[in-house]
Amino acid sequence: MRNIYLITRFTIKEAMARKVFLFFAAISVLAILLTALLLSFFDTESIISVVGNQPGNNMILKNIVTTLEMMITAPLSGLCLLLAIFASSSFIPILLEKGTIDLFLSKPVSRAQLIYGKFLGGTIVVLVNIAFLVIGIWLIISIKFSYWDAAFLWSVLIITFTFAVLYSLIVLCGILTRGSMLGMMLAYFIFLILSPVMALLNNKADTLIKNDVVRNIVKGIYYFIPKTSELMGKTITDLATGMGIAELQPLISSFLFLILMMYLSIILFRKKDF
Amino acid sequence: MGIIETKDLTKVFSSGQKKVIALSDFNLSLEKGLIFGLLGPNGAGKTTLIKILLSIIFPTSGEAFIFNRNLSDFNIKKRIGYLPENHRYPNYLTGGEVLKFFGRLSGLDDLNLDKRVDELLEMMKLSRWKKTKVKTWSKGMMQRLGLAQAMLNDPELIFLDEPTDGVDPIGRKEIRDILLDLKSQSKTIFLNSHLLSEVELITDRVAILNKGKLIKEGTVSELTERKEEYRLTIDVLDAAFQMPAEYNGVGINPLNGNTYIIKSADLSQLNRFVDFLRQNDVLISGIVKEKSTLEDLFISLIQEAERGTIQ
Repeated sequence: MRNIYLITRFTIKEAMARKVFLFFAAISVLAILLTALLLSFFDTESIISVVGNQPGNNMILKNIVTTLEMMITAPLSGLCLLLAIFASSSFIPILLEKGTIDLFLSKPVSRAQLIYGKFLGGTIVVLVNIAFLVIGIWLIISIKFSYWDAAFLWSVLIITFTFAVLYSLIVLCGILTRGSMLGMMLAYFIFLILSPVMALLNNKADTLIKNDVVRNIVKGIYYFIPKTSELMGKTITDLATGMGIAELQPLISSFLFLILMMYLSIILFRKKDF
Repeated sequence: MGIIETKDLTKVFSSGQKKVIALSDFNLSLEKGLIFGLLGPNGAGKTTLIKILLSIIFPTSGEAFIFNRNLSDFNIKKRIGYLPENHRYPNYLTGGEVLKFFGRLSGLDDLNLDKRVDELLEMMKLSRWKKTKVKTWSKGMMQRLGLAQAMLNDPELIFLDEPTDGVDPIGRKEIRDILLDLKSQSKTIFLNSHLLSEVELITDRVAILNKGKLIKEGTVSELTERKEEYRLTIDVLDAAFQMPAEYNGVGINPLNGNTYIIKSADLSQLNRFVDFLRQNDVLISGIVKEKSTLEDLFISLIQEAERGTIQ
């Protein structure tokens, strides 16, 4: 455990030294400040007083607050995820550079511990950045509307989990190619294109695809790939609105994908010559 | 059993259809407390051997043991130090931070780490750079930092791959002194170097590798000694004396001035020749066994290996 902790801490320090994570933090600060500025033009007191006189006022206020929170954080967290993929895609290739990997492997550290440490370090950095952004926006909106509902904060964990799933693929590609390009491109492809398209196809498969074989292949691909679009969309909305997770399948299948990627990464890394 | 044992260690690198034998049936038994030099031209398999011993790469066949333990046991690395060739440290860390990080990774606890880092920085004359980021450091400084890194855990066995690469002559002398000091503490040092004159100065045993094969192994004096050859230096008193080209089976080759290379397979023959010189009032100021340098030996062995006269 000590070794994993040391590598994790080292990865966090490495991330902090990267300008892209500073950019990430700067975007969050800017977003929080803009939200505060934007809300200062809102006459929230009138909204609260109007809502306060209506039956089910708490529910209406909750909807307003959650919608506002989602409207601001959804595009920002998507952007942050894109930045996080870019920033973290080089963690493994840098570790595997000649002269660096030799040093690490000459120490009493197992190869699996190196991978776990790198994975945890990258994930923790993104968790902190996302938490800073989401909690910042949540605080400003909650203060402005004097309405406090912590359910929205679940989105920190879901966004980080979505990143972790994509990061596990980046780790595997990094080990395979010793470069950052393939992992980054695949992660972007899944996040921006494949996952949303497959989610749509899966919903409409029964009506759109008549051929059984093709339909089963589409469903197979859908269940195999990480469900980033559903996690970032429906799962976050469900949790933020306090409905709980209505459908566990995207979470479970994405988690299984993460486990598979990490398992393959460690198997491959254990056998690789450097 | 030695501190390092290898049995028929072979490594073949495959790239598509092409196969390169980096190490072929390599056998070695290394005793504790020695400075061992591994020599060979570029691509001979020196770094491959070190990397196999550290489990950075895996052998195609054969086996190896360090401290009588299998290489797959990564805990043996707590007793090993390694300075890789062309090592890289994170450039956002300071010298002190680099050593602290790798010290912790080597299993040192924080209580002793600060003291050890300061000690090593002092030894390597890097103390005043402790808080400077390594991205501004020179090659020589980085090399000394690498050596300090390899010594962090006070290892019993240290692998050094080109330790004096990029270091100025004074720095090299200092590194040599450090290695000799480590030897006096019964540490075993496994040295890869191109600088044969340096290797000759400090190693107890050397092995010469060519194209993955061990072509010679022994102590430096064993390997550099030229059998049946002596260097004779004289002072001639009688101007009429003429040194013969041969005397009763002893070959005499002038080297320069009053120095000759004497070839004699038989010691009594050699002594009879000395008697002959004394009878002619020739003053002998020195007679020593002739030795070649490690570099001479290395070049001739590699050339012979290339010609295929040795396997």
